Amino acid sequence: MGTQQLDFAEFYRSAADECLRTVLVSIGDQGTAREVVDEAFARAWASWRTVSRHPAPKAWVVRTALNASISRWRRHRREVPVADPVGVADRPTARGASASLVDPQIMAALMRLPARQRQVIALRIILDLDTANTAEVLGIAPGTVMAHLGRAMAALRHDLQPELQQENRS
Amino acid sequence: MNDTELSTVVRESVADIHSATPVAQIISRGRAVRARRRIPGVAGALAVAAGTALAVATLLSSGHPGLVSPGHPGSHPASARLAAWTVAMQANGDIDVTINQLQNPVGLQSTLRADGLPVNVSFSSNPLSSSCRPYDTTENVLSAVAQFSTIHGRAYLVINPSALPSGTGVYIFDEPGAGLPSPSPGTPTLGSGQPAGIIPPPAGITGPLAVGLVYASQQCTG
Repeated sequence: MGTQQLDFAEFYRSAADECLRTVLVSIGDQGTAREVVDEAFARAWASWRTVSRHPAPKAWVVRTALNASISRWRRHRREVPVADPVGVADRPTARGASASLVDPQIMAALMRLPARQRQVIALRIILDLDTANTAEVLGIAPGTVMAHLGRAMAALRHDLQPELQQENRS
Repeated sequence: MNDTELSTVVRESVADIHSATPVAQIISRGRAVRARRRIPGVAGALAVAAGTALAVATLLSSGHPGLVSPGHPGSHPASARLAAWTVAMQANGDIDVTINQLQNPVGLQSTLRADGLPVNVSFSSNPLSSSCRPYDTTENVLSAVAQFSTIHGRAYLVINPSALPSGTGVYIFDEPGAGLPSPSPGTPTLGSGQPAGIIPPPAGITGPLAVGLVYASQQCTG
């Protein structure tokens, strides 16, 4: 295994889970998320000389995976990422992964958000990108990122607060 | 619950999710990506062969000037003799669209909407707009709504609005990067940048042209 492969392997091991969770929160379907993240990492390997010098390689992978998920919809019309937002957490998942690995209440609340707000939540909270990098990945203004984040957090709080309080009481 | 607590709740909701793909498998797949890139012109073929998408390679060049179809002409770039696109309404209600260059999508969208078609047009741009929601359909339905062909580098699209399922609209888009190199690391947006050794598509063309269905809405399809 050459130096290039060693570097990539290290990056993959350290970033794969985080990228997968970010894409999962963005698109809601675990099977699709796994598929497009694998594809994005494969593309990262193929361009590793340049990706390894990118200021935020994880953001590059996530952006590539999100683009791949759109291409996937375009090619396979029956695999719509969020056709049924409420039921998405209960869908069967690919490769034997259990849906119970994801908190169904939180995921359902996330899927009720507009797609762009969900992407901002995923990049800011799961991938821990700052506002500027999030804006760059999504191709929107930093102010728009902050507005989406504010609205998304308010909606999630409103959606989840009663359920979480109920859990705390019981 | 403050923002920090809410962030923790969201983070913990997916904390048990782990990637299960061995790195060797990723690398093997990466080698296939690399090999694919070494074959110029494979982009269109890949997309056309890939299932239910109605897609055509629109590798247009200025070497095939032809007559402009009657109807609404599209934009006229100074360097081209042809309209970028033309739209013609047929007596049976079908809408014929001829696309010579992937330019002026807003104009094409406006023209088609003026003809009563709920439509969103996107060329060389971002992924599906967040205001548009994909409509789950079958190849048969899609084929009834839109027929694609290419002749001498032009794309011909015949749309039958009466075949649209209720509450849906048409989404016309190019497929940036399909079978082509992945996004340039410097600018993580699809279709930007071409690594060395790759023959780029003609100017203005970033990938095959395709049509899909979306849920009709004011924001998405007008």
